Amino acid sequence: MLLIENLSVSYGAVQALKDVSIEVPHGSVTAVIGANGAGKSTLMRTLAGLEKPQSGQVTFNGEVISGRKPEDIVRMGIALVPEGRSTIPELTVEDNLKLGGMWRSHAQRNASLSRVYTLFPVLSERKSMRADTLSGGERQQLAIGRALMTGPQVLLLDEPSLGLAPLIVTQILELVARMAWDSGLAVLLVEQNATVALRIARSGVVLNLGEVVKSGPAAEIASDEELRHAYLGY
Amino acid sequence: MSNLTDVKNMSNAQKLRTFPGNRIVWHAVIVGVVWLLLLLLNNNIDPLYSSYLALVAMYATAMFGMTILVGFSGQVSLGNGALMAVGGYVFALTSMNWQTVPIFGWEWNAVWSMVFAGLGGILIGGIVGGLAARLKGPYLAGLTLGLAVGVPAITNRFPELLGGENGLMLTVPYPAGGYAASEIAGGAESGAETSDPNSDAGSDAGAAAGEDQYAELDLSEFDQGVDASTDPNATPATEDLLTEGDLLTLDDFSNGGDLGLESADPAVEPSVDPSVDAGLEPGQDPSGITDSFDTGFIIERWQASMAIAVACLVAFAALNLIRGRQGRVWKAVRDDPIAAAVVGISPSGSKVSAFVVSSLFAALAGAVFAQILSFVGPGAFSLGLSLSLLVGIVLGGRSSLLGAILGALIIVWLPELVDGLAGDRGWPDQITNNAPNLLYGLLVVAVVLAAPGGITGTVRSWIDKSRGKSRSPLS
Amino acid sequence: MTNFIDFLLGGFSNGAVIALMALALVMVWRSTRMVNFAQVGQAMFTTYIALTVQQSTGNWLLALAVAMGAGLILGIVVFFLVIRPVKNSDTTGAIIATFGVLIALQAGAGMVWGGDPEGFIPPVSNAGLEFAGRIWPVSLYDILVWVVTAALVIGLTLLFTKTSLGLSMRASAFNPEVARLSGVRVNRMLITGWAIAGATGAVGGVLIAPVSTISPNSFDILLVFAFTAAVIGGLDSLVGAVTFGIGTGLVISLVSGYTDASNAPVVALVLLALNLLLKPDGVFSHHGSRSV
Repeated sequence: MLLIENLSVSYGAVQALKDVSIEVPHGSVTAVIGANGAGKSTLMRTLAGLEKPQSGQVTFNGEVISGRKPEDIVRMGIALVPEGRSTIPELTVEDNLKLGGMWRSHAQRNASLSRVYTLFPVLSERKSMRADTLSGGERQQLAIGRALMTGPQVLLLDEPSLGLAPLIVTQILELVARMAWDSGLAVLLVEQNATVALRIARSGVVLNLGEVVKSGPAAEIASDEELRHAYLGY
Repeated sequence: MSNLTDVKNMSNAQKLRTFPGNRIVWHAVIVGVVWLLLLLLNNNIDPLYSSYLALVAMYATAMFGMTILVGFSGQVSLGNGALMAVGGYVFALTSMNWQTVPIFGWEWNAVWSMVFAGLGGILIGGIVGGLAARLKGPYLAGLTLGLAVGVPAITNRFPELLGGENGLMLTVPYPAGGYAASEIAGGAESGAETSDPNSDAGSDAGAAAGEDQYAELDLSEFDQGVDASTDPNATPATEDLLTEGDLLTLDDFSNGGDLGLESADPAVEPSVDPSVDAGLEPGQDPSGITDSFDTGFIIERWQASMAIAVACLVAFAALNLIRGRQGRVWKAVRDDPIAAAVVGISPSGSKVSAFVVSSLFAALAGAVFAQILSFVGPGAFSLGLSLSLLVGIVLGGRSSLLGAILGALIIVWLPELVDGLAGDRGWPDQITNNAPNLLYGLLVVAVVLAAPGGITGTVRSWIDKSRGKSRSPLS
Repeated sequence: MTNFIDFLLGGFSNGAVIALMALALVMVWRSTRMVNFAQVGQAMFTTYIALTVQQSTGNWLLALAVAMGAGLILGIVVFFLVIRPVKNSDTTGAIIATFGVLIALQAGAGMVWGGDPEGFIPPVSNAGLEFAGRIWPVSLYDILVWVVTAALVIGLTLLFTKTSLGLSMRASAFNPEVARLSGVRVNRMLITGWAIAGATGAVGGVLIAPVSTISPNSFDILLVFAFTAAVIGGLDSLVGAVTFGIGTGLVISLVSGYTDASNAPVVALVLLALNLLLKPDGVFSHHGSRSV
């Protein structure tokens, strides 16, 4: 289980996260929702080791991961799919995938690769094409596939819906939810699109200006109209 | 060095920002005072030191341009040595070929050649700058590196016009009658002193040494009297003296990995060719020789006062530019070109203007250099010269004119210091000649890593810190 | 026409060396987005080391191997002492720092080995080969230069395209953040890039030394040629560096042959200026086409 305790992050004088505590259990999706500038991306980047926390800590199965380097954190089984379909356009689809989990054994990597190709058949069809020839949805699948190649136990998904058609978003998120259920993956999903996120999540957290204003079962948050008006703007 | 006191006076200029009133007048006053002090200094020091002073002023002139280009506009250029070559060659060509041609009814004088040198700098600077404005950091550095290597090579393309590898000798337009006298007066008064440091200190950064020797050789040549000036083949005695000097010069320079002048041997070598000098000399009135003998004309002092004049005028222009609107425009574009464009500043226009100004300064410095050496040649304007300009402003402080002055001092003084040490400890030439450059290289890296503001930036940030302000060392 | 062919043939060896130097520049650019203006200075230094080895053992292969090792180490040293600390500061500072290294290396070499140009004895004959009734401007040594260059280029291509290390290095160059998130130790890849660049440059230096001479400043012009080739190739394309390195060598050979060798730097300058003006991204930039 990924445990975030009293995490604070600041950029210079700007406090991006303040005293954030979240539990991310295995086997389900935990959704973090909130408006622009709520600190969602900062949270994800800090978990992945791209930002250094000011105080508080993150533990994974009892081991402290906050403050470590991103390449060490991913090797511990926590993979981030950053915002904006982060693939490497100059590399082929297969090279993008192979990049994930280079430290793992040949057999493990091959197993992961065939699993990703099963999950995302389109990637298998395009494996020798350059990543920049893919459509937006395909690139998001590739980005998730690359993260899966690292053999993660925790998957951090930052705004996967950004710029994608609603149908594709639903497909991708349902797939993620099934993966969490099937293989005991802990998924932390950051989304601006609260409706979709809360539909597949078991529990939800609302962030506002870097602080947790509400957390609880996803259904409860989805039905809280006051919360919705105040923080989610719809 | 005593110049440092004058340099400190210059730092008063930095305090001006708090001073109300007309900025330009104050700049003029400050530059005027510094100018006066420097002239006083120049008249009261040994002529050997005057020759160093001339070099410092010459380097400072070029480095003011580097301050604007690298420090304010953020463009790393290695081409300013090549732009100095443009100025030097234009000066040489116009002064050689147009001496008899009145310009707009005025008789030719050195100022005309300086003006043409400046125009040449502006023209070439505009062309290169136009190209450079489209380029980012390393591309620009690489292009100007090509300029630094390519421009001296152009002289080989036009050997008839530009003298090829051997360069061009020029008659320096000393004040009336002073040319011949200088050789006697300068030689007689300073000959003994200047030759000593040269021979025991061995080689050094160069132009100082080269120029001293040159004065010395002129003297020897003059001793041979009219024979030498009329008969290019001279007498055996002259030949001997020249050969000796020649060897000395080569020895001095050949191993000198020194930045600017390491390959200056061809620069000095031709200067001892009697035929060239002889060809120019008949233009002088022989009767003037004795007339001006008593005036005490000292070539080094004249060179220094000329170089100081140019440096002060350039400093005045630079002060007004960087502390006025243009300075803020350059900084704005350097720090954030997009934001600058948003508020209506043209980034490329700003970059080109910085290039043109720095080219103008470089060309003027090149013209001064030509007069100091009485010579222009590819070896005098090598890649090393460009590198030394960069080293100077980085060490001195790339964002202030004071830094440029300190940089010029360092470039001239450090090799002397090393020479002194080497003389005391008996280091072999191979070590001595390369030690200044090794120091420059290591210091540049150290400064970039530990104190990017150079001397002035670091001192200023200490002062600010003690006053409780904080500021980026490069601001 | 015979002249033309002769000049072209004569240009291949120089082109090969320019290609190696351009490759070194490109590898450094790809790993740290920085032009290492000290690259040929490093190559000069390692070539002096090779010269010393050859003079004392007479073994050219050993000299080459030592130079490569020294180049590898020098690349790592420069990276750690200069580039890593300066990396996050301004790009102006980084450029200036590499020039500082160049100046220091040249002075250091002058201190150790003196400033006079020294000859480097080629391992095989440097005389033009006789074939089909005439002497060609190609020597056994030229052929050796081609073979060594080709082997190195092929080796590097395989390394970059077929191995995990190569993939990690490419990913680190293109997008360090994604590479780190994938578990690649990007910093090590950057160091590896600098090290391989150092070794590649070292090979170039050893190969060119017998054709020219070696002195602390003798490679300055090579820096201009290599930079020209690398920039025209797009600065991040290995294929571009090799293609235009050889191309630059050929052009220079033609210019030197038909006019005068002193025109070569001017021609390089013109090529560079034209390229920067017309196609600032370079011909082989990965934005336009696929790069290795």
